[in-house]
Amino acid sequence: MQNNHMDSEVLLKVEHLCQYFPMGGSELKAVDDVNFEIKKGEVFGLVGESGCGKTTTGRSIIKLYDITSGNVYFKGIRIAAGKRSYLDAISKAKESYKEKIAAAASDEEKQRLKKELAGIIEDNKKKIKEAEYDQKNCDKEYSDELVKKLQEKYPPMIEKAQGGEKQKLSAEYKAELYKAKRTKLVTQIQMIFQDPIASLDPRMTIRDIIAEGLVIQGEKNKQVIDQKVFEMLELVGLVREHAGRYPHEFSGGQRQRIGVARSVIMNPDLIIADEPVSALDVSIQAQVINLLNDLRKSLGLTILFIAHDLSVVKYFSDRIGVMYFGKMVELASSEELFLNPLHPYTKSLLSAIPLPDPIYEKKRKRISYNPLVEHDYSVDKPSFREVKPGHFVQCNESEYEKYLSILK
Amino acid sequence: MENVENKLAVRNLTISFRTTNGRVQAVRGINFDLAKGETLAIVGESGSGKSVTSKAILGILAGNAMIEAGEIIYDGKDLMKLSEEEFHRIRGDKIAMIFQDPMSSLNPIVRIGRQLTEAMILKGKARQRESRECFNEYLKNLKLHMISAIAGDSTKEGYSKETADAITQKCQDFDKFEYKHLDLEAAYRTAYEAATEAVDDIKELVFEMEKNAVKDAIYRIREIAKMAKMSVQEYVVKEDGEKLQALAAQLGKDAQRVKKADGNYDDVIGRLNEVREILEKAIALPEPNFFCMGYYVAFSGKELPVMSDVNQLNVFLHQYLDDNFMLDFIADAKKGMMHAAEVSYEKKKEAIAALKEQLPVFEKEELNAEACRASEKILIEKINATINKLEIIKDNVTYTFPGRLKGEIDRYFSSIIKNKEEQKRYEKAKAKYDGLVSRGRTPEWKVVEAKIVDLEEVRADICRQIERMIKHFEDSLAQRDNRDYDKETVAAIDYLKENASAVVNKVTKQVAKAKAIKLMEEVGIAEPRKRFRQYPFEFSGGMRQRIVIAIALAANPDILICDEPTTALDVTIQAQILELINKLKEERHLSVIFITHDLGVVANMADRIAVMYAGKVVEYGTVEDVFYHAAHPYTWALLSSMPDLDTNEKLEAIPGTPPNMIYPPVGDAFAPRNKYALKIDFEKQPPMFQITDTHYAATWLLHPDAPKVEMPKVIMDRIARMQQKREEEEDAE
Repeated sequence: MQNNHMDSEVLLKVEHLCQYFPMGGSELKAVDDVNFEIKKGEVFGLVGESGCGKTTTGRSIIKLYDITSGNVYFKGIRIAAGKRSYLDAISKAKESYKEKIAAAASDEEKQRLKKELAGIIEDNKKKIKEAEYDQKNCDKEYSDELVKKLQEKYPPMIEKAQGGEKQKLSAEYKAELYKAKRTKLVTQIQMIFQDPIASLDPRMTIRDIIAEGLVIQGEKNKQVIDQKVFEMLELVGLVREHAGRYPHEFSGGQRQRIGVARSVIMNPDLIIADEPVSALDVSIQAQVINLLNDLRKSLGLTILFIAHDLSVVKYFSDRIGVMYFGKMVELASSEELFLNPLHPYTKSLLSAIPLPDPIYEKKRKRISYNPLVEHDYSVDKPSFREVKPGHFVQCNESEYEKYLSILK
Repeated sequence: MENVENKLAVRNLTISFRTTNGRVQAVRGINFDLAKGETLAIVGESGSGKSVTSKAILGILAGNAMIEAGEIIYDGKDLMKLSEEEFHRIRGDKIAMIFQDPMSSLNPIVRIGRQLTEAMILKGKARQRESRECFNEYLKNLKLHMISAIAGDSTKEGYSKETADAITQKCQDFDKFEYKHLDLEAAYRTAYEAATEAVDDIKELVFEMEKNAVKDAIYRIREIAKMAKMSVQEYVVKEDGEKLQALAAQLGKDAQRVKKADGNYDDVIGRLNEVREILEKAIALPEPNFFCMGYYVAFSGKELPVMSDVNQLNVFLHQYLDDNFMLDFIADAKKGMMHAAEVSYEKKKEAIAALKEQLPVFEKEELNAEACRASEKILIEKINATINKLEIIKDNVTYTFPGRLKGEIDRYFSSIIKNKEEQKRYEKAKAKYDGLVSRGRTPEWKVVEAKIVDLEEVRADICRQIERMIKHFEDSLAQRDNRDYDKETVAAIDYLKENASAVVNKVTKQVAKAKAIKLMEEVGIAEPRKRFRQYPFEFSGGMRQRIVIAIALAANPDILICDEPTTALDVTIQAQILELINKLKEERHLSVIFITHDLGVVANMADRIAVMYAGKVVEYGTVEDVFYHAAHPYTWALLSSMPDLDTNEKLEAIPGTPPNMIYPPVGDAFAPRNKYALKIDFEKQPPMFQITDTHYAATWLLHPDAPKVEMPKVIMDRIARMQQKREEEEDAE
C-alpha cells in the first residue's frame, strides 16, 4: 500500500487521470491527464460542455470504470490506479535503448546499457504490480484495518464484562465484525445522479431505496435502518409517511431529495453530484441547491459538483475546474475564475451564460472558441501551469508569459 | 398591432384530460397572438400547461384530451376543427416542433441520416404535388377574373371571345416559360451551390492543413474535386472550365498520394488555392435573370445572344420580356385583380345587408332552431361568396366565421338538452343527499354542483360574432380606395413563381443527403459525413438535440414551436442553438413559440412573454415589461429563485408544488404558495388587469383597493446591478 505524504486537508487527489475507451480501431480519450485536489469541506465545481468528460471523471473517481492511467487518492489512500503510463514507459525505454545499444562502441558498454534497460523495466513492472494491487485491494485493506481495530477494542471489553452484559457485547462484536468485513472505502464516496426519475427503481419503496446502501453494508437491524431512514427523510425535508410510497408518487424536486437522502445515509465524506439540478424546474432547482447547501454546512460534506449551468456552479462552488475535450484547461477559485478568466475556452464559456436582462442579453456577444485558431502548439507543447497562487491554466511557455502579463 | 401580420391566434383555449382519477384541467382559457417574425415565450413550471398548449397547436394531443372550448386560428383555418388529413399538410411543413427530450424523438434503430432525409423526401413529393395544385388553381382564378374584367361577361353582350382566347393563351404561355426558366435555373443552382460549398470546404481544409491537424484528408479532397467538377456550367465556371477540370483530376490523384505520405501538403494546398481562386471569381459573377431567359428561350425561336457581361445580358433579356409579354400581362393581371376585388366588395355589401337582416333572428330571447339553421345557411353562403381567392394574405376573420358561427349555434342547442340533464342529475343527487342528512347521517360524498351553460351568454356570443363580422366588412369597405393594386399584382406573380419553383425542386436522395449534411453543419455537428451514418445512441445529448433541430428545420416551416429545446444542453451549446434559432428566425421570418422554464434564456430570445401557471396565463407582456416591471407574484418568484453570477445570499425557492389540476383551486391557483396572497385570492379568481397597452397580469394586487406591494428586493437589486453593468460596458466601449 502506497501512502502519500499529503496535506491533511486534502480529501481527494487526482493525479494524471486518464480514461480511454476503445472505439473501433482507435481509442477515445474521454479524460486525458487531469489533475486536481479537493480539500475537506469545499465544493469543487466541474464545468464544460457535454461530452467533455466531466461525468467520466466523476465515475472514474468512484471506480465505476477502471482507469487507464494515473492515480486517485482518497484520504491519502490510493483507491484507483492505472498502468498505461508504466507500460508506455517500458516500451519507450525499450525503443530508446535499442538505438543506444546498436550505437554502443564496446561490448562492455552494451552490457551496461542492457542492464540499465532491465532495471527500468523491472522498476515499471513493480509499479504496475503495485497499481494492480491497490486497484484491487484498497477496500480489503481498509476493511482489514477496521476489523483489526475492532479486534483490539472488543475482546478486552468482553472479558471485563459480566453476565448478560457479556452476551450482549459479544453479539454486538459479531455484528460489527460482519459489517466491518463488508465495509468498503469507496462507499465513503457517494453519488447523486442527474435524472431523478431514471435513478430511482420504480418498484422499490422509498424506504428500500434509501436503506439499500445500509443493507448491502451488512446492517440487519430493522429498527436501526428505519430510524436512520426517517432521520434522512427529515433531513432532506420530507416526512416519515413518505417512506412507504413509491417514486412515481413524488414530484421532480422531491425525487431528487430522495436521491440526496440515499447518498447521505452512508455518511459519506465526499459526494459526487453529477448534474443534480439540470433536469429540474427553476423553482425546484432552488429548493435542491438550498438543501445541498444546508447539508454541506450541517454535515461538513465535501462535494464534487458537476454541472453545466455556470450561474449555479458559481453560486454553489468554492473552486471551479473547466474541462474541454478531456483536458482540464483552467482551475481557480470561483471568484477568481469569473474575474480573471485566462484560457480562451473559459472566456467563451463565460460569454455564453444567459442573464435575466433583455437589453443586456440582446447585445451580448458570444466568443467562439476554436483550439486551432487560438493556440499554436506545433512546437511548444502545453502543460498545466500555475499562473497565480491557486489559479492554474493549460498553456505553453509563450502563453504563460502572456497570462502573467495580463494578471499584473 | 394592426399593421403586423398575425400568424397564429389562440382564443379562449380550454383543454382537459380524462384520467382514471378524474378530469385534469390542463389549460384553462388562454389567449395569445403570434405575429409574423416574432418570438413568443411561454414560461412556467412543469405541469403548467405550456407543452399541452403547444401540442394542441400541432394537433398531437394525447388520446384522452378533450378540447372543451376555444380556437387556434392559422392561415384562415381553425386548427381545432381540421381533419387529420388536412392537418398532414400543416404539421411539420408549416408548423414544426422541437421536442424536449431528443432521445425519445429519435428512432433508436434507424441511422441519423435516414431520419433526417426521410421527411425531406416525403414532404418534397407532397410539396411538389401541392404546389402544382396551388399554381394551377391560382392561375385559373386569375385567368377567369382577367377574362371577365377585359373581355366582359360571357353571358352578356359585348363579350369578345377573341380577347378571352388571347388571355387564355397568355396564361398558358406564362405557365410554359415559367417552367422553362426553372429548368435553366435548377442547372445553374446545382453548379453555383457546388462552387460555394467547395470554396468553404477548401478554406477549412487548407486552414487545417496549415495547422497540421487535418482529418479525413483523402475523403475531403475527393469531395472537393467532385464539387469543383460539378461547378463547371455555362454561367458559373465557363472560361476556366477546362483548367478546373484538369485541376480536379489532379486533385483526385493527390488524394491517393496523401494517403501514402503523411504530413506534406504543400503542393496540394497550392492546387486547392488555385481551384479556390477560380471558384471565388465564379461566385462573384452576377446571376443571370433566368425568368426572362426562360421566356426568350421558349418563344423567341432564336439562340441566346452571346454576351460576355451577364449584366448586359440581363438588361437585354429583361427588355425583351417586358416588350413582348410581361408589361402587357401585368396590366391585364392588374385588371383581373381589380375586378376580383370589386366583385368581393360587392359581395361584402350584400353580406353586410344579409348579416344585418339576419341579426334579429338571434336577438330574440329564445332562439328558434329552424329559423336559426335557415339563417345560418344563408349567412355562410353569403360570407363564403365574399372571399377573394386572389388575395394572398388570407382574411382570417372571414375564413373562420362560418365554422365559428356554426359551432356557436350548435353549442346553443346542444346546451339546452345538456342543461336539462344536468339539472335533473343535480336534483336527484341533492335529494339523495338531503334525504341522508335528514335521517341524521353524514354522507362521505358531496353533491357536485350542476354545470349549467348560460344560454344567454352563448346567444350574446353569436350576436357579437355577427356584429364583429359586419364591422370587419365595413372597415374593409372603408379601405377600398387605399389599395395598391400594382403591388398586389406583383405579389401575385411572385406567388406564382414561388409555387412553380417548388414544383420543379425535386428532392431526390442525393439532394436530401446534401441538404441534410449542410443542415448538420449548420447546427454545429462536426464531421457530418461520418455522423450521417451513425445511430442516435452514438451521439451525446447535445448532439442529439441538434439533430432534432435539424430535422425540424428541414421542412422549412412557417412557425417553429420549441418545447424546452435547450434544457438538456450546456451553456455554450445552448447559446449556439439559441443563436441558430434567432438567425433562422431572421432569415426566414419565422414565428417562434419558445417554451421554457429558464428565464435567462427567454431574455435573449423573446419579443413577448406569457407566464403560465396552473393552465392560465398569469402575466403577458413584452420582454421588457416582464423583466423590468413584473407585476405578478409568480413571476417575481420565478425571477428570484434563479441564481445569477452575483448571487450570494440564500436562494428564494418557491415553497410547495403546483396544485393538483383534478381539483383546481377556487381562487387564484398560486395563492397557497404566494407570500403576498390576499384573502380574496383564496376565494375568487383574479381577472386580467391591464397595466400598459402591452402588459397584462392576473393578480388581485393590481386592483385599486389592494394594498401596495413592491417588487421583491432581490429583483430590484438585480435590475439595478444589471443596469450598472450595462452602463459600465457602454462606457468601456
